[in-house]
Amino acid sequence: MSAEEKLPPIGIVGGGGFGRSLAQAIVRNGRRALLWSRRAHTVDGAESTDDFAALRACQLIFLAVPSPYVRETADELGRHLDGEHLLVHVSRGLIGDDLLTLSRVLRRRTPARRIGVLAGPLDAESLAQGSPTGAVVGSRFPEITEAVREAIGSDTLRIYESRDVLGVEIAAAVVGYLALAVGVGREIGVPPTTVAIVLNRGMTEVARWAPSLGADPRTLFGMAGQGDLLAVAGGDDRPEVRLGRALATGAPLAEAGELAGAHIEGVTIARRVDTHARKIGVRTPIAGMIADVVEGNLDPRRAMAALMARAVGKE
Amino acid sequence: MRVPKAIRHFVERPRLPRLDSYVPAASDPPIFWFNGEREDIVDEVADRLTEAHGVSVGSLELALNDAAMREMRRLERQHDEEARRDLGGWRALSRNIGKMSEREQKQELRRVTRRFAHDVAGNFDPRVYRMAIRAVPKLLATLMQPSQMPRALTSGEGVLGRLLKVEGHAEHLARLEKLGTVVYVPTHSSNLDSIVLGRALESVGLSPVVYGAGKNLFTNPIISFFMHNLGAYRVDRRIGAALYKDVLKTYSQVIIERGYHSLFFPGGTRSRSNIIESRLKLGLMGSAVSAFAANQARGVARKVFFVPTTINYALVLEAETLVEDWLKEEGQARYIIEDDEFSQLDRWVAFLRKVLGMQAACVVRFGAPVDPFGNPVDEEGCSVAPGGQTIDPASYVRWRGKATLDDERDAAYTQDLGEVLVRRYRHETVVMSTALVAHVLWRRIVSQSPGADLFSRLRMRGEVSMERSELEREVGELRDRLGRLQDAGKVRVNDWLADAEPSRIIDRALRVWNGYHTRMAAKDVGDQVIAEDPTLLLYYQNRLVPFATRVAGEHEVAAREIARMGVVR
Repeated sequence: MSAEEKLPPIGIVGGGGFGRSLAQAIVRNGRRALLWSRRAHTVDGAESTDDFAALRACQLIFLAVPSPYVRETADELGRHLDGEHLLVHVSRGLIGDDLLTLSRVLRRRTPARRIGVLAGPLDAESLAQGSPTGAVVGSRFPEITEAVREAIGSDTLRIYESRDVLGVEIAAAVVGYLALAVGVGREIGVPPTTVAIVLNRGMTEVARWAPSLGADPRTLFGMAGQGDLLAVAGGDDRPEVRLGRALATGAPLAEAGELAGAHIEGVTIARRVDTHARKIGVRTPIAGMIADVVEGNLDPRRAMAALMARAVGKE
Repeated sequence: MRVPKAIRHFVERPRLPRLDSYVPAASDPPIFWFNGEREDIVDEVADRLTEAHGVSVGSLELALNDAAMREMRRLERQHDEEARRDLGGWRALSRNIGKMSEREQKQELRRVTRRFAHDVAGNFDPRVYRMAIRAVPKLLATLMQPSQMPRALTSGEGVLGRLLKVEGHAEHLARLEKLGTVVYVPTHSSNLDSIVLGRALESVGLSPVVYGAGKNLFTNPIISFFMHNLGAYRVDRRIGAALYKDVLKTYSQVIIERGYHSLFFPGGTRSRSNIIESRLKLGLMGSAVSAFAANQARGVARKVFFVPTTINYALVLEAETLVEDWLKEEGQARYIIEDDEFSQLDRWVAFLRKVLGMQAACVVRFGAPVDPFGNPVDEEGCSVAPGGQTIDPASYVRWRGKATLDDERDAAYTQDLGEVLVRRYRHETVVMSTALVAHVLWRRIVSQSPGADLFSRLRMRGEVSMERSELEREVGELRDRLGRLQDAGKVRVNDWLADAEPSRIIDRALRVWNGYHTRMAAKDVGDQVIAEDPTLLLYYQNRLVPFATRVAGEHEVAAREIARMGVVR
């Protein structure tokens, strides 16, 4: 038995595109991958299971399920964990009107405390193919970064670390809904300069609000925030961008979602961010307008025009 | 005039002479062994810190230079006996650090840490403990009610028993203290807290604890005598040297590792505003988490249990000074208050006269214990996961199958534990009559001054009143809403309030306030109750800030304004 085979397998919960890509990257690194999924999914070289108890043998477990299912998944998975397990989620979701981050949900609903988030310009495709890219692990526990690097880090995947877990989670969520705006902008044919303004000011307004949740605003301009946003602006065709395009053609939300082909967290987050920010007296007009467009209350062209018409202040 | 060394030593460390050494019985609580281990503990603290700083010459030099520079600066300002005695030594050290070899620097660091640790180290005298639990209640009852001296001398216990109500998980804790080290982490409102908590532990048969007390509390000779002999270790907040802070943390860690049940106030200082603590100072709490990890790493399977505890007063001894301090925004600057009511004997007497004989004027509530990782602990001391399965707490400090030491990891665990405690404090807060009545009156002040800032409202002395019947109705409604929150496990309501008529609740609050505080909080005039001193009302109602919107009823706008104050602590 080789040294790698003696090591515990690395778990992945969720058989969607990202979950399967994680399994491929793990196998490529010579480690055993154990993929949990309700439906039968196979990845070459990885073991599959539909039994959460099987994940007890893992030390590091990635959670790649959409945020609406995280509570339920955490409850079931948590029954088989203890304090030695490391949990890393890859979600862009924030839960409920209080915008609860997934790391908090996992901490409250499972015995695991060593929890982290993987974010940044890392999509399922580049992860599966091993294309050069980077990501950041947000965790206050150094062993999480070490374990993630061992599991999927490589010559083509640079993994940075951040202690600001909340900041990374919020950055990932915000990029999700700003990517919708990029899709809308591309479809209606706005020039790159307009997109740049929306993205830059969209991130800046969040930087004023994020500290109220306990995040460091500087994190928004790191790999999980600005870094990921550059990939969006540079032309990647992630599901959020596809959804934005579909919405701009006048497709209803449900239909646009099907066209995008994935669960998109950003659909409701923009509205919840805007509402939350208003409560504490912070203005987030770009989040508000994206929410209006997504909900079908505002024509995308008028939204762009309204944004450009806003009073200009100091940077 | 120079004070002879022996007298100075007795004043600084008042201890009873002992002719023979005390041999604890097997059934005695761990703290009865403390004196026998004290020198060993001091040595261990010095050894650990010397080893930790000895990893490099730079670290040694930095620690010594920092200690010498900060101590010189402090003593030069003090101009007292201590300065005359110690300043020269620190100056000499400061001059010589650069010339010392690494070995000499290590020796010097060990000497300095040993000296700090010696100053910190407490003392426990079982004779004083027995005297405190037997004689002091009777003495206090006699002093406060001299006309009833014979009764007080025979039943002083009863008088204090009625005054102090202890509730919560005492039986559970009695089992846990035999299974591991229990660390009490209470809310902090008054300098009376450690005394009250000591009394509460004793009254339900729990073991006495080791606790840190600010050196300023040792200025009163009577209090100093008891503090010195009942396990308190001294924390001198004037000493800013990083090495001194390391000594405090390491001392705390070592005594927890050795199984001494302990007490910390995670709020760090008394809540100036009376708002329940929401930001905790995690240093000493972290030492308990590290103690658990250190024991596991050396194969000692001793568990550590944290007990979120609330100490709830109908009347707070130092309320006036604390709230003034909060309003001056000098809370941090005046971290050490030496001139408050705690240091004034007449205020003690007035306070005790006011509350003695009152049923449940102070309620200590021991919350459900948790492990160092925030998991609830069952009757057998096992940690329970959210899914209901028991888990091994040692799993949290294992990495790749082995228990390890990791400061960064333990700091993260401590931060998580702090969040759990903040939630628990709210749930375990016991609402007292004064908080209830003050909240209704303050809410009226807020709703009658829309848009006004806090200080404008505080100037509305005697300007706002309520019809007595209206006040009774609102107090009754508020009590009932809090009762429903209690049913949901979100807060506790003092048992006395649950069954009392609202008119009695109001009478009790007015009686408690008036005659003790130098200013009247509220007064009854005909069929009106006048909000006489908004500042005191604000202080007492602040206990309800986290619940304000949930018990608002038709007063939602005012309640939202009150709730926002929780953010501006």
